[in-house]
Amino acid sequence: MVSITAGQENIAKRSARKPARSHRPYSGYRTALWIYAGAFYTFLYGPLLMIVLLSFNNSEIVGFPFQGFTTRWYDVVFASPALLKALGNSVGVGILAAAIATTLALSLAMGFRHQFRGKSIVLYLILVPIIIPGIIGGIVLLIFFGFSGVRSSLWTTVLVAHVNWVLPFAFLTLFPRLHGFDRALEEAAMDLGARPWEIFTRIVFPIIRPGVIATALFSFSLSFDEFIRTIFVSGFDRTIPVQFWGLIVDELAPELPAMAVLIIVISIFSSLVGFYFMWRASRSAATYARKAS
Amino acid sequence: MTAVTPDRIPAKTKHRRSIKDGGVKPIGRPIWLLSPGVLWLLLFGLAPLAFMLMMSFWTSTIFGTKPDFSFDNYARVLVTELYRDQLFKTLRIAFMTTAMTVVISYPVAYLLSRLHGMQKALFVLMMFLPFWTSYVIRAFVWLPILGRNGAINNALQALGIIDTPIDWLLFNEGAVFLGLVYVYTLFMTLPIYLSLEKIDPALVEAATDLGARPASVFRRVILPLSWPGVLSGCIMVFLLSISAFVTPQLLGGPSGIMYGNVIASQFLANNNWAFGSALSITLVAIVVLLLLVSSRWIGLQHVFTGGRNS
Repeated sequence: MVSITAGQENIAKRSARKPARSHRPYSGYRTALWIYAGAFYTFLYGPLLMIVLLSFNNSEIVGFPFQGFTTRWYDVVFASPALLKALGNSVGVGILAAAIATTLALSLAMGFRHQFRGKSIVLYLILVPIIIPGIIGGIVLLIFFGFSGVRSSLWTTVLVAHVNWVLPFAFLTLFPRLHGFDRALEEAAMDLGARPWEIFTRIVFPIIRPGVIATALFSFSLSFDEFIRTIFVSGFDRTIPVQFWGLIVDELAPELPAMAVLIIVISIFSSLVGFYFMWRASRSAATYARKAS
Repeated sequence: MTAVTPDRIPAKTKHRRSIKDGGVKPIGRPIWLLSPGVLWLLLFGLAPLAFMLMMSFWTSTIFGTKPDFSFDNYARVLVTELYRDQLFKTLRIAFMTTAMTVVISYPVAYLLSRLHGMQKALFVLMMFLPFWTSYVIRAFVWLPILGRNGAINNALQALGIIDTPIDWLLFNEGAVFLGLVYVYTLFMTLPIYLSLEKIDPALVEAATDLGARPASVFRRVILPLSWPGVLSGCIMVFLLSISAFVTPQLLGGPSGIMYGNVIASQFLANNNWAFGSALSITLVAIVVLLLLVSSRWIGLQHVFTGGRNS
């Protein structure tokens, strides 16, 4: 059988970091490593930069040669009602899915601070949506809702698919935040007679707030980019990746690179802001730890 | 701040100091905290899956899918050469993708773990960014690279190496392999990096001080300690690759399609839900089996948090 430890100790251990020391005796290896890393990052970013370049290509076909600079594909993207509709759908469902998933995950993570029977079973349950292959995650909802008579649409099936997908990640991001922090303040408040709800709103939540915001932003980004589950349950409502897919499969439309750039910018932007909050969260956790000791 | 009146204190604190470990019980009742999430997951996570398992024993005809209890669907999955071959081919591609991503990720993860300060922050951030870019886009970018009007053909023509565009770059198994490696490499690099990052430099120093050569420090200290990260990455990449749909659909052509495309076509084209369910459950069974086997070495939740146990 699978053995699952509570995982708390391991996650807590991470915060106790050793000061870094440098090892640089073998400079030949290092040069080779740097050259290799350069190649790796080129492999990673080259194709993405090429798409940015192609989005400005004044040509009816997605490809080369480069026929001159134009911004008209961005005009096409922003003038297309179907595309703007899809963008609105994605943003809307992303915000709602992030809110629901973050709330559920926060509640679960608060529950996981307690010891209770069947903890590992609940953990398995939380992980089910990421263990199940994405394509199956979409299909199960298609047949489940199909047979329950729920019509596929944005605010029913797509929302459920997205919350399913995002929830485990939200939990895995929040859980260490709630475990990492020092409970002295909480205990002090309790000793001073604060009620649980007061302790949560005035002590616990303010401490973990950057972590919660980061989780919500990462969740939004995950939902915004979700495709494989959505394609099976989107019905007539298209999200941005579904719309994008349609344009590739149907005709390899010339505005695809511009659209890709737009999608990349939105999801990277929300992730970067999420990163910022994550960094603040770890910093504030460190501050509390220092104050406590 | 609300003023806390002294007379409230004893009444409130009395029943909370009762825990074995001497600490104070966390706020809230577990049952209430857990039930919203658990109910959601039971209703929308587990129940649909159970329904699919049930449906895999039903029969689909042109008139619809009817309750039944028959093993015909599974027999068809295992006996029909087409499906069996697709399954083996998909396992092969997933295995190759996993092996390739380990090889190309490890050196980079190792370098990242040796960097310091701003340099490290920058390179790690650059590692994360493409992660947050839709995989549909990351698969799509290979069309204008490998296609007839793609970057490679264009460059070769401009250099005068070829006269007419070459067609065999795209729509085959090789293109799918390349696409999968590109899309999923980061799922390997990050866990390896996280596990290397955790290694105490004192261990490396101790080994060096005791006279170990760089190669043997690497082989006997660093490599074994990064094993959880490698394992976590392998599980992630393998799971993602065997259920790939987007990449083979875009880059594979008829010869490069994978098991995921076979499953999808039962629902998007053939409307054979019962048989599609049996194909799907077979894939789920492979995934679960793989996780059960790997759980000997790595706890399930650590797979998804980058192999942080050791």
